[in-house]
Amino acid sequence: MMGGSSTKKNMFSRLVPLLTSLARRGLAGWFIAIGLIMVIAIVVMTMLAPWISPHDPSAIEMGPLLSPPSSQFPFGTNKLGQDMLSRVISGGGIMIQVALLSVVICMAGGIPIGLLSSYTGGILDRILCLIMDSIYAFPGLVLAIAIALMLGRGVVNMALSIAVVYVPSYFRVIRSQVLSIKEMAYVEAANAIGAKGHTILSRYILPNVIPSIIVVATVNFADAILTAAGLTFIGLGVSVDIPDWGYDLTVGRTLLTTGVWWVIAFPGIMVVLLALGFTLMGEGLSELWNPRLEQ
Amino acid sequence: MTLRAYVISRILLTIPMIFILLTMVFVVIRILPGDPVLAHFEKNVDPALVEEMRVKLGLDKPLWAQYFDYVFGVFRGDLGKSMYDYSPVAEQIFSAFPATLELAISSMIIAALVGIFLGVQASKRYNKPVDHTIRIFGIVTYAIPVFLLGMILQLVFGVGLRWLPVGLRMNPMLAAPQGLTIGALHFSTGLYTIDSLLEGNMFKFVESLRYLFLPSLTLGTVLSGVFIRLTRTNMFETMRLDFVTAARARGLRETTVTYRYALRNAFLPVLTMIGLQFAALLAGAVLTETTFSWPGLGTYVVDRINFRDYTAIQGAVVVFGILVSIVSLVVDLLYAYLDPRIRL
Amino acid sequence: MIIVTSSPDVDTTLTLCCHVHSGSDKLVLQFVTRFCQRLKSYIENARIHIPTVKGMKNIKAISRMLIVGIIIVIIVVAGVVGYYLTIPTTPAMKDTLVMGTTDSIETCLDTARAYDFFGLAIVGSLSSGLVDYKPGATGSVDDIIPALATSWASSADGLQWTFTLRQGVMFDDDTEFNATHVKYSIDRGISINDPDGAFGGVGYGDLIENVTVVDKYTVRFYLRTPFSPFLSLMAFQVSFIVDPRYAPFDAVVEYDSSRTPRQNHAMGLGPYRLANWTRVAGRETEIRLEANTKYWNASGGLPETKNIIIKFYSDATNLASAIRSKQVDVAFRQLEAVDIQNMMTDDNLKVWAGTGAFIQYLCFQERYAPFNVTAIRQAVGAAINRTTIVQTVFLGQAQKLYSMIPIGMSGHTDAFLTLGDPNYTKTRELLAPLGYNETHKLAFTLWYESSGHYPQSEDLALALKSSIEGSNVITVSLGNADWASYKTKRRNAEMEAYIYGWYPDYVDPDDYIYPFIHSSGGGWLNTNYSNPEMDTLIEWARGNTSTATRNSLYTQIQSLMVTDSPIISLYQGSAFAVTDPKVKGVYLDITQVWRYWLVYIEQ
Repeated sequence: MMGGSSTKKNMFSRLVPLLTSLARRGLAGWFIAIGLIMVIAIVVMTMLAPWISPHDPSAIEMGPLLSPPSSQFPFGTNKLGQDMLSRVISGGGIMIQVALLSVVICMAGGIPIGLLSSYTGGILDRILCLIMDSIYAFPGLVLAIAIALMLGRGVVNMALSIAVVYVPSYFRVIRSQVLSIKEMAYVEAANAIGAKGHTILSRYILPNVIPSIIVVATVNFADAILTAAGLTFIGLGVSVDIPDWGYDLTVGRTLLTTGVWWVIAFPGIMVVLLALGFTLMGEGLSELWNPRLEQ
Repeated sequence: MTLRAYVISRILLTIPMIFILLTMVFVVIRILPGDPVLAHFEKNVDPALVEEMRVKLGLDKPLWAQYFDYVFGVFRGDLGKSMYDYSPVAEQIFSAFPATLELAISSMIIAALVGIFLGVQASKRYNKPVDHTIRIFGIVTYAIPVFLLGMILQLVFGVGLRWLPVGLRMNPMLAAPQGLTIGALHFSTGLYTIDSLLEGNMFKFVESLRYLFLPSLTLGTVLSGVFIRLTRTNMFETMRLDFVTAARARGLRETTVTYRYALRNAFLPVLTMIGLQFAALLAGAVLTETTFSWPGLGTYVVDRINFRDYTAIQGAVVVFGILVSIVSLVVDLLYAYLDPRIRL
Repeated sequence: MIIVTSSPDVDTTLTLCCHVHSGSDKLVLQFVTRFCQRLKSYIENARIHIPTVKGMKNIKAISRMLIVGIIIVIIVVAGVVGYYLTIPTTPAMKDTLVMGTTDSIETCLDTARAYDFFGLAIVGSLSSGLVDYKPGATGSVDDIIPALATSWASSADGLQWTFTLRQGVMFDDDTEFNATHVKYSIDRGISINDPDGAFGGVGYGDLIENVTVVDKYTVRFYLRTPFSPFLSLMAFQVSFIVDPRYAPFDAVVEYDSSRTPRQNHAMGLGPYRLANWTRVAGRETEIRLEANTKYWNASGGLPETKNIIIKFYSDATNLASAIRSKQVDVAFRQLEAVDIQNMMTDDNLKVWAGTGAFIQYLCFQERYAPFNVTAIRQAVGAAINRTTIVQTVFLGQAQKLYSMIPIGMSGHTDAFLTLGDPNYTKTRELLAPLGYNETHKLAFTLWYESSGHYPQSEDLALALKSSIEGSNVITVSLGNADWASYKTKRRNAEMEAYIYGWYPDYVDPDDYIYPFIHSSGGGWLNTNYSNPEMDTLIEWARGNTSTATRNSLYTQIQSLMVTDSPIISLYQGSAFAVTDPKVKGVYLDITQVWRYWLVYIEQ
């Protein structure tokens, strides 16, 4: 990544005023701010991994096997002698890719369908509603397993299976928003002056729907991360020579009974932080935009 | 609309939903990558073997015929034959189902109880540190992978304190509870807790609870976050309503006011949430069962992955989907029964 | 008949109406009406309403609470009393041993098809063979002891083996065991010739021409070719005796949940009976063995433990937690190397380490490039670092293996050591003339099994990849498949290089050579390696009876193997069992047989 450090500084300078304004909005603001920081920090760390990780994360026998955190290996080593710090720095790639891809696919599918269905109404709306309700009823991991089995392993297939399960969430949220907006005066007015359907959709409805979409997206991210970890745990993850937090979690779990806590703790904390970051953002944003509790 | 009309229309709605579900599963497994039989065998396989499996499983008919076989089969209770040993999938799923049901029910109970209790506490002390802690607890428990939490509980309560067993469903020394036997009539639910009560064996009952506790606690804790959030917001609103203030003014104790009056009103959304969370519960059960060697549908699915047994996984997915549909149907009906507003 | 229904067309409150549908007593009618009214008012009152403080209602509330309280107390007391009444009696628990494992019975409990380690161990506890290995065997022919046969002799040309049978051995139904049962068991296995079974896999039919009942207690085997390890083969569980009442001649006895445990297995005459075998959705949940009172060796005090309960865990970690928390008395197969190492220093547990006879090896597919070229196979073989495997992956719990024949077995030589361990110079030398160097690397995919069939396959694959890539002229990608797919890929010759494993069927070097590098014996492995010179050597070795001659033949075979490098041996694994310190009688010898009937808990 060219110009890494200067881009970071630029983002930083825009970030600080954003964060301070958030902090003023009470607990919800704090949630969003903390969540945002967590997510950005982890993403940046993963992107810079090839430059900042002290050792090759896949190289075995870097040091004594299963050695606890020390000055040479701050996060310890695992049972093949791989450096845990390097693995933690580089391991988020798979999960982040899966989460990002699933959100993109979901949005690409769910938003147009949702907008179309709720705006058009009628039988199409009813049928789509029914279909979406059926999909919504599905246990995400189970469908993900079925799809991962059929299509094989890999980032794209994991993302696809998570995306399929999440489309109904976007659909529902968009639909409820659109239905309420559709009846509003200014939309009727726009209709009256002869604006076409897609213009109304893009100019009036879409901007109002975006907040809810973002909230759903954050929950989508968090769930994608946890589902990716779950799939890896079952054995449907990516190849074992790619550093991956999910894989380290699975392996680390087997080591915990022997008192080796560092192999599962550090990747585990990262996964929790990443999922937490998105969840916090979602919580904060939903409270900010849909205030239900007033003092 | 009246209750009767609502019940009828809701039940009728479930049927097309299940159809769509079946179709979706069929599309995923039969159509998406092409051929589950070939996928089972990998490339360059002896074509005779492939044909043999196809014929045995009824997969040599045209696609539309397969679809109808499949759909009508499901309603007949026939979920096809396993690709591993050609035994009926429905039988296998039926034998594994009670274990998962027991786990699901007890996890949901724990999730609801923990969630409601903490939610109530949080709503009472709105925006105070306790509230924040509870909210954060709810969010963090959701973000922890289920198998990680399960491992920690196993280590603490099982290996460390030796209070609770770390796996299995029942004490190895005891035979599985058989349920009620009157003469030649045999009645068992497959749920060890209930069966041991039916058998009249209290020791088995306590043992089955001990074995059930850790897995349910694991799954329940992960799900409780949603209930905490929901109860918190609903209780907060309800406590502000007039009748609650009136009750308090009359001098009733705070716990009575909270749990007898306010909670009853806030309960309805929780009920709906139980229905909605059921899908997440089943997903979590897959991971929990593997962690605790719990012989249920989750273990079944994971095993079948290793066997590349597509028909079995298809059957399991269908069963999961139908289960969730039925649960949401029941929840909706219950909701309609309890909340008169929905019928108007 | 009284039906209670709800009538939906009253407004927001619920009404219960009692409809009387057929003639009934007026008194009953009145009682029912009053009951319904009370029910209705109770439900109405149970919904949201504001109570009024009235004396009458207060007393009612208090008395209601009192009744509920008393009921609860009664239930609790009954529960506690019931609990103490139903605690299982301790004597029954004393004579019981609980074992935990992650294995399962891969097919069924029938020698005609069973060919998995765990299944055959159970078969061995439910049945007996003509001969057996004494506990602590080292593999020599002197370790063979009589079982159902009291004496035996082979003809000079090695083509006939005659066994004199033990008398007075009874099946469950008091039929006496005799030579016809031996003929039945072997003929049945050969005739069924199940594709998954050992009869076909080992080649009983190619070996044995005829089983003849000479007289009631004498049976004779006529072999097609001389086979030196024949006694070893008879000590293999697949050769054990079936019970004709339960084992039909032309069908394999499979698991069926509707049948009794006795009907679900084909065996008989063993130290144990099958008391319970439960499978839930295709996976074992419990096996119970109970002592066979009619066991021919019961007078020897066997089996030591009257009841054995086997429980099945999903994975090694759960099993490790279980043995640590004493949920089971014995944990056997498979525990991870880290757990075993950790448990060795745990005073609450005893770790039994056994002689290794389990080997793993790297196979090359010779049907197509790149491994149809001998030099390339040798080059990769020379780049393998066995120290990494043995020390890093298995934490010293395995041994470096330079031959297909395990260490400790007669005929073993450290043949592959000449290739290097590792010798990157040799690798580069071998590959250079073929055009492979640091800028143009040899690339291939290394396959491993990923569903837990072999211990720590991922770690082994990573270790191999790392050591082979250490030569700097080779790139290794990893491929994996679950066990079922892995076997299919092997059958279809789809994998360029693949890791496989082997437990001995019979304890003899032939069992580690013939099934791998003989052109017909190794057919199942499907590496497509064939060398007529090798075939001849192997056939001589298995037919010859002189140990010295055989050893020299095996030395030749192993050095020829290095020259051809069809398969590279990797390591030899030890068997480990972890038990409670009070458990005794665990023998993990070279036969790899787990002898259920010898294990007991010292009181």
